[in-house]
Amino acid sequence: MSSATIDQKPVVPEEIKSFTVTLIIRRFNPEVDDEPHWQDFDVQMYPTDRVLDALHKIKWEQDGSLTFRRSCAHGVCGSDAMRINGRNRLACKTLMKDLDITKPIYVEAIKGLPLEKDLIVDMEPFFDSFKAVQPFLMNSVTPEKGKERIQTVAQRARFDDTTKCILCAACTSSCPVFWTDGQYFGPAAIVNAHRFIFDSRDENAAVRLDILNDKEGVWRCRTTFNCTEACPRGIQVTQAIAEVKQAIMRGKA
Amino acid sequence: MPDNTVTGRRISTSVLVIGTGGSGLRAAIELSERGVDVLAVGKRPKNDAHTSLAAGGINAALATMDAEDSWQQHAADTIQESYFLANPHTAEIVTKNAGRGIQDLERWGMPFAREADGRISQRYFGAHKYRRTAFAGDYTGLEIQRTLVARAAQLEVPILDSVYITRILVRDNVVFGAYGFDLRDGSRVTIIADAVIIAAGGHNRIWRRTSSRRDENTGDSFKLAVDAGGRLRDAELVQFHPSGILEPENAAGTLISEAARGEGGVLRNVLGERFMANYDPERMELSTRDRVALAAYTEIKEGRGTAKGGVLLDISHLPRETIMTRLPRVYQTMLELQVLDVTTTAIEIAPTAHYSMGGVWVRPDDHSTDVVGMYAIGEASSGLHGANRLGGNSLIELLVFGRIVGQAAAEYSAGITSQNRSQEAIDAAEREVTDTLASDGEENVRALQRDIRNTMTDFGGVVRDEAGLLEGLRELDELDDRQKRIGVHPDVAGFSGLAHAFDLRASLMAARATLACALERRESRGAHNRSDYPDMDPALQVNLVWSADGSIAHEQIPPVPAEIAALMENVSQAGKLLE
Repeated sequence: MSSATIDQKPVVPEEIKSFTVTLIIRRFNPEVDDEPHWQDFDVQMYPTDRVLDALHKIKWEQDGSLTFRRSCAHGVCGSDAMRINGRNRLACKTLMKDLDITKPIYVEAIKGLPLEKDLIVDMEPFFDSFKAVQPFLMNSVTPEKGKERIQTVAQRARFDDTTKCILCAACTSSCPVFWTDGQYFGPAAIVNAHRFIFDSRDENAAVRLDILNDKEGVWRCRTTFNCTEACPRGIQVTQAIAEVKQAIMRGKA
Repeated sequence: MPDNTVTGRRISTSVLVIGTGGSGLRAAIELSERGVDVLAVGKRPKNDAHTSLAAGGINAALATMDAEDSWQQHAADTIQESYFLANPHTAEIVTKNAGRGIQDLERWGMPFAREADGRISQRYFGAHKYRRTAFAGDYTGLEIQRTLVARAAQLEVPILDSVYITRILVRDNVVFGAYGFDLRDGSRVTIIADAVIIAAGGHNRIWRRTSSRRDENTGDSFKLAVDAGGRLRDAELVQFHPSGILEPENAAGTLISEAARGEGGVLRNVLGERFMANYDPERMELSTRDRVALAAYTEIKEGRGTAKGGVLLDISHLPRETIMTRLPRVYQTMLELQVLDVTTTAIEIAPTAHYSMGGVWVRPDDHSTDVVGMYAIGEASSGLHGANRLGGNSLIELLVFGRIVGQAAAEYSAGITSQNRSQEAIDAAEREVTDTLASDGEENVRALQRDIRNTMTDFGGVVRDEAGLLEGLRELDELDDRQKRIGVHPDVAGFSGLAHAFDLRASLMAARATLACALERRESRGAHNRSDYPDMDPALQVNLVWSADGSIAHEQIPPVPAEIAALMENVSQAGKLLE
């Protein structure tokens, strides 16, 4: 079989070496424990492994009772937000090589929501706030038959950043106001309100702004920027909240 | 440890939807909008269905970008790309109703990309004659899924998460519900329903390299349908994507966009040869998906692949600027997954099972099946894609048939005057779960699942031949035997092990149907290549329908309506013949 050859030899990727890393995980089993406690595990990992891989290894090889949420493992479903070395991140998107593995890695549940078991918290209060902002398009006008609603590129771009939210709660559970005041809507709900308030096709901005003008609404935000740092999707959360504040003051989006 | 007492719930609804991806949610929305009692059941959290991984786009001949476009042309492109195995009636229904699908999404707030004047933007995608693929950045599937989730939430559609359905309940070939268990605590769930819609995906997870996630697309849709009395159509027709990565193990099969070749990436074997010169010297790396997959497969099979069984996709000669601006996701993905810098190093890739073009046998009009009251939609169903799927057609199919099936099931439910149930059927389903749970054999379920994937990769991959297919079927017999001696051990963390056992049986059935039909299709057509029958056989321009008893029927495909056929002649055949 003849083949076209070229001068260049392909660069074949090198073998990657593994190493031992210690995870210190905050455990809690409501059936036996009064208080959460820390437990450490040693696992063999590659630099390209994620924290989620480490948790799986522990669960499958060392302690089947370790409990955490996970689903897509691609940073899309938002189910594995946790506090890793004191920072809220998605376990499936946090690479070993990006952590200082000469020291133990601390993993615990996100804060501010009721702890259920190990790394799992009760997400109901979080989703209640989300639902309260009416996170769906409301529009009573029917477009011309066979046509779509028109939206300019600029109008579409206006809410692009806040469409990226995956409802992982990393932002809301990083917010010091939310930790101390569980009634506060929290950044994620405001981000999802922003998504529709600034969508030119939506007609219910006034209602949402009214909801967020509540004393537990946007005005609780102290612009700490924790939420923006925590967002695994890179959403400018604090800015979105500021835009909602301005819209309330102006009385329109 | 869980004890053996059976605890459970009994739920009643009018229509049960199995699966909460795009098609399942669309059907549930339709039912809810019509005021029909509906329940959607999923084995995953609802925000996380497979639809969310679809990147490319969604097709409809809106004719706003190219005024000459029409649904007839879209149908013509679809049928031609299918190597004439698409059912023309199915293609007609999807393309005629595609505009409505886009409008539905738009009405519910889907953030489509826009043109300067505000129209929905559409672009070329694969072998379309005109620009008709709408999109939302790189995340079209994700945005569709989220739009549907938001609409379902607004309508308060009840969704039962984390429930695995093991059986569809049938009496005298009429559906009356489904049986399953809760993945968290093992408690049983009996759902009584007038109609059942299967929307739980295809079977591409039964190959070693697959773009499907773990524990999804295991063929469970096929098993549920066949056990209930349904049949499968074209199980052998599976689309392979040319470029899935090999490592790390947990991300194997992650796709490298074909844009990497489009921008000038070259393919080499381990000897450094640009092997496409031997397969398609004119178009080289820009050749079609099935052809590039076939070429890469052949190189690997003939011993010119890398040690890990791949070939090299190299973009390192491209200007760094081009990679950063045109292929940012390729750069980022490889950096994240392999700490590999694509601006200096080649990527190891191999053909990867990507989409089940066949599926449960359904009627084109309403996707009803052989069982009265049972429907199938989405990747679980069949009829639209034939031997090669037109890019962007899978997402629109969800929208169109989700709505039509929702309507059909609503009408069926409203029209029945009585329902006969069978305690025997419920007892049998209960016993099956109980017995499986009690299995204490020495065979490991995960290991058997791996073995099926190896068998399918060795004998049911990109290129097949009679000797291999027969050997594959023999190995499946062996695996079936070992399957009877599995051990299932649920732990405090839940009952996923039990689900894997059911997945395993489903995969075995899907694998058997695939290999048997591949053996029967003694020709090469589209994604199905037979090294012992390299040509297309006009006598096999039929759909192959597989039944539980192992028999395979040849189903004639209706003629293409004249108005669509006329448009196919207008499309250049020259490029197509190469495929």
